[in-house]
Amino acid sequence: MTARAALARFAFSFLAAGVAATAAHAADFDWKKFQGKTVTFLANNNPVSQALLAHKADFEKLTGITLKVDSYQEQQMRQRLVTVMNAHSDEVDVFMSLPSREGQQFAAAGWYADVSAMTKNEVAPDYDFAGLSQALLKAATYDGKLTSLPMNIEGPILYYRTDVFKKCGVGEPKTIADVEAAAKKIKACDNVLTPFVSRGLKPAVAYTFSNMLHNIGGSYIVDGKSALCSAKDKEALDTYSRLLRDYGPPGVVNYSFYQISALYRSGRAAMAFESSNELRTVMEGGERLKDTALIPFPAGEAGQVPTAIGWGMAVSAYSKQPDAAWYFVQWATSPAVQKLMAVQGIAPPRSSVASDPDYRKWIEEEPVRKQWQAALDVLAAKGSSEVGYPIVANPESREFIGQAVQDLILKQKSVDQACADADRALDALISQK
Amino acid sequence: MTENPISDGLLRRLNTLQLVLAGIIIMAPMAWMVLSSLKPSFEVTAYPPTLVFSPTAENYSQLIKTTPFFSYAVNSLIVTIGSAGLGLLFGIPAAFAVSWTRISWPAILTLAARMAPGTLFLLPWYVMFRQVGLIGSYTALILSHAVITLPIVIWVLLPSFDNIPRSVFEAAQVDGCSITRILWRIALPLVGSGVAVAAILAFVFSWNYFLFALVLSNGDTKTLIAAAFNFVGEGSTNWGVLMAAATLIALPPLVLATLVQRWLVAGLTLGAVKG
Amino acid sequence: MAAVESVAMGDGADAAGEGRQRLELAALSAPAVLFTVGMIAFPLVYTVWLSFQSFSSTGKQSFVGLANYAKLISDNEFWHGLWVTLALYVLSLALQLVLGVWLALVLFHARRLSGVVRTLFISPFMMPPVVAGMMWLVILDPSLGAANYILTSFGLPPSDWLASPTWVIPTVALIDSWQWTPYVALIVLGGLQSLPPSVYEAAQIDGASAFKTFQRITLPLLLPTIVTATILRSVDLLRFFDIIYITTQGGPGNASNTLNIYGFRVGFEFFNIGYSSALMLTLTAIVFGAVLAFNRLRGAVAW
Repeated sequence: MTARAALARFAFSFLAAGVAATAAHAADFDWKKFQGKTVTFLANNNPVSQALLAHKADFEKLTGITLKVDSYQEQQMRQRLVTVMNAHSDEVDVFMSLPSREGQQFAAAGWYADVSAMTKNEVAPDYDFAGLSQALLKAATYDGKLTSLPMNIEGPILYYRTDVFKKCGVGEPKTIADVEAAAKKIKACDNVLTPFVSRGLKPAVAYTFSNMLHNIGGSYIVDGKSALCSAKDKEALDTYSRLLRDYGPPGVVNYSFYQISALYRSGRAAMAFESSNELRTVMEGGERLKDTALIPFPAGEAGQVPTAIGWGMAVSAYSKQPDAAWYFVQWATSPAVQKLMAVQGIAPPRSSVASDPDYRKWIEEEPVRKQWQAALDVLAAKGSSEVGYPIVANPESREFIGQAVQDLILKQKSVDQACADADRALDALISQK
Repeated sequence: MTENPISDGLLRRLNTLQLVLAGIIIMAPMAWMVLSSLKPSFEVTAYPPTLVFSPTAENYSQLIKTTPFFSYAVNSLIVTIGSAGLGLLFGIPAAFAVSWTRISWPAILTLAARMAPGTLFLLPWYVMFRQVGLIGSYTALILSHAVITLPIVIWVLLPSFDNIPRSVFEAAQVDGCSITRILWRIALPLVGSGVAVAAILAFVFSWNYFLFALVLSNGDTKTLIAAAFNFVGEGSTNWGVLMAAATLIALPPLVLATLVQRWLVAGLTLGAVKG
Repeated sequence: MAAVESVAMGDGADAAGEGRQRLELAALSAPAVLFTVGMIAFPLVYTVWLSFQSFSSTGKQSFVGLANYAKLISDNEFWHGLWVTLALYVLSLALQLVLGVWLALVLFHARRLSGVVRTLFISPFMMPPVVAGMMWLVILDPSLGAANYILTSFGLPPSDWLASPTWVIPTVALIDSWQWTPYVALIVLGGLQSLPPSVYEAAQIDGASAFKTFQRITLPLLLPTIVTATILRSVDLLRFFDIIYITTQGGPGNASNTLNIYGFRVGFEFFNIGYSSALMLTLTAIVFGAVLAFNRLRGAVAW
């Protein structure tokens, strides 16, 4: 692992850092300060926002602020955000953002308001800023400016069918090689099931692929150059695409969380490498509750380096009322609300919530939840937030990673050719400053 | 044919057979959509697909319970009726003038908006409507959708107006009628079915358009079609609900189509004759 | 629409009356013209201005002149997008014209069209394209959908449909043709109904075969109608967006990355509004050029 990649990667420790300015102003804090105002929230319609917005009325009652919610599916939300921000419009006060994807780009464009000062001066006594995952906060800090506050922690994990594994005589996979061996055995013993499924859709690949790349010990950039043609990276490209080509469902190149969850939930896949956020969806209907086990993605030569990211809540730089907007952000990321969200299956970005008795009780209710939390603990402790290239044009870099993987799944290019083509395009992106 | 070896009856039956074949191809996907929307959630993705199942309304009730489906539908109705109305208001006189003068550039100009990709308008319109404080208003949505309805109205009505014999107008002119009066009192009543077809098509195409509402509406004014995607987002993978939403959204245009099929077919084929 | 031609108006009208008349006619078209100009002039000018700006990666905006257009020429993805756009266009148009003419002939020879038949044939293009996209997405899913089940039960190999780089364009063309062939058919049917019956009678007396009659007489007479249908479909097909946006978003790989989808993604997914504007204006020019060309052609085949 190179120095640069090591920098990009950091430990998700829940150790409290020494930020304790909260007490100073706590006494004057008044939740009703912005009574009568209206705050507009542009949300991505996903489980995280759904869990949060289930308690919308509580916020309005507590603060007297009217919350206007504008909720869209991810791609459309981005489309709307780009329009609003390019027009420098104050229409949106608060929006959801993925720092790991667009953070650098939005920060460079000046779309985020810097909320560092607010986290010190305008907080309720029980906010406990220091209790938020320091790693996620750091991942959302650019040029010393804090751009968003974490709402959750998530990452890809391996869902697998214990009954199928038993039937086919396969044990829990400990390494990536085990995953492939298990897939092979399952293919031989049950010809109806899809042995392994993960993301194949071009822009979605980077999320799961990055986990495998890091486990194998590869890195995206070496000495300022795209390194997909390095031995480790090639191995990751080859392994990821081979698993999907040989053991994945037909048409896997169009698969994202949507199809993966549907396939696994309906009992037609033996292993699914998908987001921890999909737990609720996968368990919907209860059919998979008793025959599913969850683990972080098995180790490669570099051990386990899971991907761990979180949705963030950001205040728009063009908001006319950043202070009122901040009140919503701090309510939404407060320990009390994150606890409410946690028992709806949203992994909390706070260790205090993760160890809260009520949450623990919810976890203990089902063995699957226990495994889920155990996997998330590993993500929190060892996770990397690097999904795609750590450059400003991160979203576009994911295209080329996805393209290389698809070229291999579809056997349109050799590994050498696919990585060389991707490197050429990615080098151009990296040099673009 | 030297000597007709195939009887008329056989020919006719062959023709009917082709008609049935085409009908099945057209019908089947829509039938499948409706069937899927009536399946219990676990059966929608069952493989092999099931044809026999006990139908359920659970997808519909879930859709209506978890989303403000009806308020979106009301938004869509307001925008659709507003833009179709505006299209008729501007389009009828324009079509009449073009038909009268045979100067076609105004009609072609209104088509220009259809030659650019819809996404081109998103940012500029957002900027434009923001300047006048109309973002999120029905007005902005109606105006943007009228860009779609106006050319439909003009192009559907043109052949209808063209079909009216000139002598009808000349007689009125001799009586000292102004052109505007001729349009409203004489020409318009003569093209009633054309206006109906134009109104229906304007309604349907406005109802079906989703891109503009994506940026010009807000949470309160969002149209049904713009909201369609969000009925099924991350964390609620349910194909049955998706198909229920699809069925309900497609329903108003299809019902309208059924009600006016006779005129619509006549109107469309007439348009082609003069096209 | 009839070609532009000057027609002497109202015989005997004096000069003042004619002037007033012209004014009145102008006033009748004015709302439509002013509205359209008001709605599209600013977006076009603004987009031209945007296309001279760079927004790339740093997010800072700067004037770069024609750099975005220069980039276009060396951008492989642009040429690929152009190729995909044209391939999809030609394939869809051919399918819709051929099937549309066939369907129109079948409808024409049907003794009478019942309400059910008429409703059936207008339903597909009454349906929102977004909904049609969702519907086909579910049907064509390679492992969950009904399409592969039907193929395999007839002993045919299953297809990856939208997930196959080879088949994605034909599949999208099929979806679009499912939706718009009936529309083309109705337009052509109108053309058929307007043909003078005398030409058929003449052909019958000559003893020409049904196919010959169609080839020698019906088809040439139908050409103006077919060109009309071509223009109407070209405008939409060259800007192909909805169905791809919903089903593949340009994939797999970039196999269905049409110019419209590419321009959209550059702007709204990669945030490069400047380059995206240049792409969209180029596409607009292509559509405009095609419409002009076909309009000329219509003049040439008129009878």
